[in-house]
Amino acid sequence: MGDSRSSGDRHLFLVARKPRFGLPTACPSCLPVYLYLKLANADFSVEFDSSFPDSDHIPYVEYGESVALNNEKGGVIELLKEEAILDLNAKHTSLAIPDLVSTKAMVSSWLYEAILYELWIAIGGDVAHNIYFSDLPWPIGKILHWKKIYDVKKLLGVTKVNCEEREFEIYKKANEAYEALSLKLGDQVFFFDNRPTDVDALFLGHALFVLHALPEISELRSNLLKHDNLVKYAEHLKAELQLDSTPSSTQPSSSSKDASTPSAPRRKPSSGWGSKPNPKPKKEKTEEEKKFRRRAKYFLATQLVAVLVFLSLMGVAGDSEMDDEDAVDYDEE
Amino acid sequence: MANSEPIPRDQTPPSDSEETNGADEISEEGEEEDDTEYEEFEEEEEEELDPVRERERLKSIFRRLSTDPVHVRVHDVVIKGNTKTKDAIIEAEISDLFKKPRTVQELVAAASIANARLKQLDVFDSVSITLDAGPAELPGTTNVVIEVVEASNPLTGNVGVFSKPEARSWSLEGSVKLKNLFGHADIWDTSGAFGWDQSLEISTGVWVPRFKSVPTPLSARAFLLSQDWLKFSSYKERLMGLNFGLLSTNNHDLSYNLTWRTLTDPTRMSSPSIRRQLGHNVLSALKYCYKIDRRDSHLRPKSGYAFSSTSQVSGLWDLRGLKFFRQEFDLRAAMPLGFWNAALNVGLSAGAILPLGRNFTKLSTSVPDRFFLGGHSSLVCSLGGPSSLLGFQTRGLGPNDMRRVLNRNKDEGSFQSGCHDFVGGDLAVTAFADVSFDLPLKIFRDAGIHGHAFVCAGNLAKLSEGEIRNFSTERFLKTFRSSAGVGVILPTKFFRVEVNYCHVLKQFENDHGKNGIQFSFSSPL
Repeated sequence: MGDSRSSGDRHLFLVARKPRFGLPTACPSCLPVYLYLKLANADFSVEFDSSFPDSDHIPYVEYGESVALNNEKGGVIELLKEEAILDLNAKHTSLAIPDLVSTKAMVSSWLYEAILYELWIAIGGDVAHNIYFSDLPWPIGKILHWKKIYDVKKLLGVTKVNCEEREFEIYKKANEAYEALSLKLGDQVFFFDNRPTDVDALFLGHALFVLHALPEISELRSNLLKHDNLVKYAEHLKAELQLDSTPSSTQPSSSSKDASTPSAPRRKPSSGWGSKPNPKPKKEKTEEEKKFRRRAKYFLATQLVAVLVFLSLMGVAGDSEMDDEDAVDYDEE
Repeated sequence: MANSEPIPRDQTPPSDSEETNGADEISEEGEEEDDTEYEEFEEEEEEELDPVRERERLKSIFRRLSTDPVHVRVHDVVIKGNTKTKDAIIEAEISDLFKKPRTVQELVAAASIANARLKQLDVFDSVSITLDAGPAELPGTTNVVIEVVEASNPLTGNVGVFSKPEARSWSLEGSVKLKNLFGHADIWDTSGAFGWDQSLEISTGVWVPRFKSVPTPLSARAFLLSQDWLKFSSYKERLMGLNFGLLSTNNHDLSYNLTWRTLTDPTRMSSPSIRRQLGHNVLSALKYCYKIDRRDSHLRPKSGYAFSSTSQVSGLWDLRGLKFFRQEFDLRAAMPLGFWNAALNVGLSAGAILPLGRNFTKLSTSVPDRFFLGGHSSLVCSLGGPSSLLGFQTRGLGPNDMRRVLNRNKDEGSFQSGCHDFVGGDLAVTAFADVSFDLPLKIFRDAGIHGHAFVCAGNLAKLSEGEIRNFSTERFLKTFRSSAGVGVILPTKFFRVEVNYCHVLKQFENDHGKNGIQFSFSSPL
């Protein structure tokens, strides 16, 4: 199923959040990446991270010495496509691309905001707690939970004054997206040309999360259930991809990746793909500048030592305080 | 605070000389001897006293007091001068001291100890202990009068620059103390430390010498620490927590630590080993430290030995915190060499950390809790586990992992100087030998400036994540790093300075050993 480019025999490591609610990973950001790898028939293993729920770099995919982090260049899926590791869209015609891009934009923005609102603001604590914070001690989980709610409200622009208005707006956009996608999908297996694309991975992740993780009182879930073909699409692919079985995985703490020993490095520098981090705070200094700074440090230190030697030699009496000050000398005479 | 000697006080009218301190009135058991002495005293008083004879007489009295068993019993302990400090606090410090003495000599020794104990509370400007005569109807007794002067200014502060084994470089430290706020000799302090490497620590706490039925000092401290290990291990560490000192004596120290630790990597350059360690953790640990130091000096020891053992068990909160057992040993010995005031100091320290839990051999340990070697803290002064290895940068050797690689835009350069993260070891061993000697010039000797030559070695090994099966003692010994050097030590009032030239004798690939001059600043105390 699906068409992967240059995955070959190379093995990928996906680090995501833990499974729950019958899903291979319960996090709505990690599930699309997992499904993308599944749809691409990639050879990958899953590791779960339960100690960093507020990170934005998870999920990430390690490939050789390189890594694709979720908070770089639009996300893991975009990086995998850009670096030509896995590109589900490769064989789609150029005519489908504009439609594909706009659909993806709709799913990535409207439906993503709807998930955020539903999970962190509308539903309440239990679902989010079970996904992200259940493995942390209660006080830490609680503090991080509150912090996340605050961050989501800030991101969505939700305040006490405009809460209802924003909620209406978010659900309205989600409904419009569902209707558009339902019309687009029709009776097809996939959204575009009967081949899986990254849109399928993104929406499938969204739909499975809404159907299985959100409670029945969820308005988002109720709206999605109104579109039978979308529900059937999600359930069909869930069975097809065998998502019911728990993926073989390891916790990061028992990873088989070992640190190198002193006699030889474990890996050589890779000439493969990598990602550029954000602009670094310091510029590379020229050799001359480094030499100048080093000499300046030595000069200052020497001056300081010279001053100290002078003070020590001139104030010899000060060194007698090295003796025990608390001893009370009793003069017997 | 002024030192004050315990002074026997006259009950009878004083003689002409101011130096008469009433030793005559301390009567021995046996009234006949007392009467005889008294008569002698009266006779002497009536005479015109020769100052020389008077001095001789006093000397003989003091000689008798110090050598002969002059029996006395403490009748009462009177405390004066404490307006804020509770009587019970002072009494608790000295109550056991004055029950046992039966002679003047023992009493004077006990008074010295009491004086030192009260001064150690650090809430008095001065302490004076006077031995006054007991009630006239109870001969052979004495009243111990303790007069304290409480600190006129309860607020004190200090600032210093130090280098610590755990920190990457030097740090500016300052603290403010508020003494005796509630009259229990409690000391409240707030301290801050700012490191050259942008590390920051802020803490506040309280220390009491005793609390209700607990006879040993107790302390409680809240702290916030932020440390930057990006250059060496690609992570920043933030700790927030509470520390409780449960038992503190000269040799034993028991404390409980509850810390929320967060590791982050803002540069996104970390190696896979570090990347998997990022996140939040809770450290709920009980730490026991046994320390014995019989060296004649902890700054320049010339004889004696010292031993310390630190055990730490973590995972007391619940199943979700870090669970490990950590043990450190440190053994030192010093012996004089008999020339140039020289002394040989040797030391051997070792430490190990193992995770706790089912299949513990396959589990991983937390990187910040592992052992790291390197840095330029003093070999001789620091006592407390393997940490220092001169000639190597902080965290400059041992197990490491390849960082994330950038394969393009070389012009933009790299933030970190190396391409490996040092991830620490689960087993660490260090050893050193140091010879200190006086310098030829008298002016240096008088100032305490001395030289030293040293050789040190150390190694780290990983035992967690299944590596314990691959561990080989022979290979561990063969991969020991070592360095040697000479240096000068300048003890000053504000800090102790070491200027060393180090030469790395043995290092391995990716180690950050460097020949050259190193500076070290440490506390002068």
